[in-house]
Amino acid sequence: MKQSLNLMNSISRRALLVAAAVVATVPAALAQEVEIRVMANEAFANSIETTEVVEFNKHYPNIKVVVDGVPYVELLAKMMLDSTSPTPVYDVMIIDDPWAPQLAEIGVLQDLKSDEIAAFTDPDYDWSDFNAAPLAAGEWKGVQYGVPLRSNMLMMFYNRTLYDKAGVPAPTPALTWDEYLAQAEKLVQDTDGDGKIDSWAVDTYFVREPLTPTIWQTIMNSNGGKLLDADGKPAFNSEVGIAALDTHKKLLDFAPPGALGHGFTESLQAFRQGTVATMFQWGSVYRSSAVDPKSTTLTPEEVGIQVMPAGSVTAGAHRGIWSGAMSAKSQQKEAAWTFLQWLSSKEGETWRANNLGTFPARKSTLASTPAEDSQWLTPIYTALQLAYDVAAKGEMWRIRHPRSDAAQQILADEIGRAMAGRVTSEEALTTAADKIEKILK
Amino acid sequence: MAQQGIAGARRGQSRTARKLADLMSRWAFMMPAAVLLLAVLAYPILYTIEISFSRFDLASFSAVEWVGWENYAHVLDDYRFWDSMKVTMVYLVFALPIQIVLGFSIAFLINAEWRGRSVVRALFIIPMVVAPVVAGGIWRMILDPLWGIVNYLIGLFGFGPLDWFGDATLAMAAIVIIDTWRWTPFVVLTATAALLSLPKDVFEAAEIDGANWWSKLWSITLPLLVPIIAATFVVRWLGAVKMFDIALAATYGGPGGATNVINLFIYEEAFRSLRFAESAAMAVIILVATMILTGIFLRGSRFLEERY
Repeated sequence: MKQSLNLMNSISRRALLVAAAVVATVPAALAQEVEIRVMANEAFANSIETTEVVEFNKHYPNIKVVVDGVPYVELLAKMMLDSTSPTPVYDVMIIDDPWAPQLAEIGVLQDLKSDEIAAFTDPDYDWSDFNAAPLAAGEWKGVQYGVPLRSNMLMMFYNRTLYDKAGVPAPTPALTWDEYLAQAEKLVQDTDGDGKIDSWAVDTYFVREPLTPTIWQTIMNSNGGKLLDADGKPAFNSEVGIAALDTHKKLLDFAPPGALGHGFTESLQAFRQGTVATMFQWGSVYRSSAVDPKSTTLTPEEVGIQVMPAGSVTAGAHRGIWSGAMSAKSQQKEAAWTFLQWLSSKEGETWRANNLGTFPARKSTLASTPAEDSQWLTPIYTALQLAYDVAAKGEMWRIRHPRSDAAQQILADEIGRAMAGRVTSEEALTTAADKIEKILK
Repeated sequence: MAQQGIAGARRGQSRTARKLADLMSRWAFMMPAAVLLLAVLAYPILYTIEISFSRFDLASFSAVEWVGWENYAHVLDDYRFWDSMKVTMVYLVFALPIQIVLGFSIAFLINAEWRGRSVVRALFIIPMVVAPVVAGGIWRMILDPLWGIVNYLIGLFGFGPLDWFGDATLAMAAIVIIDTWRWTPFVVLTATAALLSLPKDVFEAAEIDGANWWSKLWSITLPLLVPIIAATFVVRWLGAVKMFDIALAATYGGPGGATNVINLFIYEEAFRSLRFAESAAMAVIILVATMILTGIFLRGSRFLEERY
């Protein structure tokens, strides 16, 4: 009896000590249960709620996180509508790469390095560990409004089996656009010997939509071209820009029939089915294109990934980062920042990379060894680190301006017209430059 | 005499009171609906008009400053607006007559007595209830140049393959086909109801007079159906002029803007480019143009009703 009482006392003491330790690590304001709401792209909102929030709650059980998904096309407008209201519903917004300037300019985002937020920031939270390119997506006019949550880069995927069949050496980061186009002819092939072409060299964005210009822009950037000059005026209607658009159009010659109507979904589908040898696509689709047997016929051994072919200056990449930002009017800033901080911390990022295949933004994560069952991430980490470096060097991202989406839509319209052969590359870029200059004024 | 006068005055007063009470009770019944209509119909339209004459401030997400016709000038100066108008006209010119002719023809064919007619009629409703985005997606697969069944069938006859979404003309044809697939059933149902309501005695008399199938169709059925055809056209016109979801799902407005109908352009300018003021100006222009054309169609419809 006495023994059991002693045991009980001992357990209670230990329980108290553990509880005290947990309480000590949780800021006082978070000891009470709070709820924060997150607005995110519906494409991954459910994944955040069912996996990342569950893991987060193991560390912070008192912070209830509700994630609402909104279709991409309406997401920015809804974020603006909500965050400009006197009492916004959402504490956290997961914003796309070009949106930080648009939201920051209307004053709805919280400065994450302000004294107010610094008071809630873990001393171990290492800002300098982030790669410059992904971190810069959440920055505007020297103020940090977002932290990278879902990092992505436009990269080159290739199917080793189709390269072998065509007798073409697998690409390396040193591959140039000229070399690639010379090889592309051989990559259009009849793989089953029935006399009909059944495999093509490339698929990517050709359709009239805002992400299609990113392919042209990457080719242009890798040849030293810029979207805007130092005064913020369009500089893309240059010889380099026109040549880059001609190269983008040239890809259609080696793409499957109907590729002019292809974008994200169609090119992904073609690559997963093994009908195209290369794909210029967002790196984050690697898992569903090469690892997950539910969505692909390919395996990690068959699928290579690297930076896009090089131009005269550098290899190519294009940044597409989803950053976590906070509403400046949030009533739950500490909880909201705790959530964002954990997701983007070394620990949170590593957990998300190993368990969900999310691409990391931190140098330390990219230099680490992935978990045993995520070994497929190893070559990706190498390619991703190079892509970040290349993108930072060549400023390979969309226009950073409060009206960047309007400018991107104009580029989509004009690149679309050039792709369809309705105007020449020069005419398309001249028209786009005129319109964008007026918009950016 | 005086009493009669008083009685007359009282009768007059009570008649006025009755009329007033009647009027009041009518308005009392109408008011909730009128207020509701004003709130959900008139207010958004009036607000759109207000935005179209203002600078739209994203920071407060509201119209803040009166700019007169500036937004309208921007819109009218944008070649993309005029291109979209042309695309919309081409779509309407092809889609509407095809749907009306096809709808009434099918209705005429299935109007005969035969087993399973009601099942076929019920099946006709399916395309109408399929969400436009789903319809667009399904048709993208059906018309896919590589894997689509349409190109496979065309290939059996030695034609193709056709690049349905890469060629400007074929992309517009694809939009017209998808829209026709969705909305012809509506015309069929309307036409079937109209055919069933036609007076039988006229046809019986024509039969006694020895009229053949063609004479009955040309001289009796069609003239009697003209007002219905005109009304159906107006209803479909009002629906078709708003179409953008099919183009968004099937062609993204491409290739190169070849299927960028005006409502898709307005939608993109508002939600992708966040140019709400210019979008509102375009919406108002379309509203006015639609009202004028609808007015003309209604007058034409009334003329046909009176004539036949």
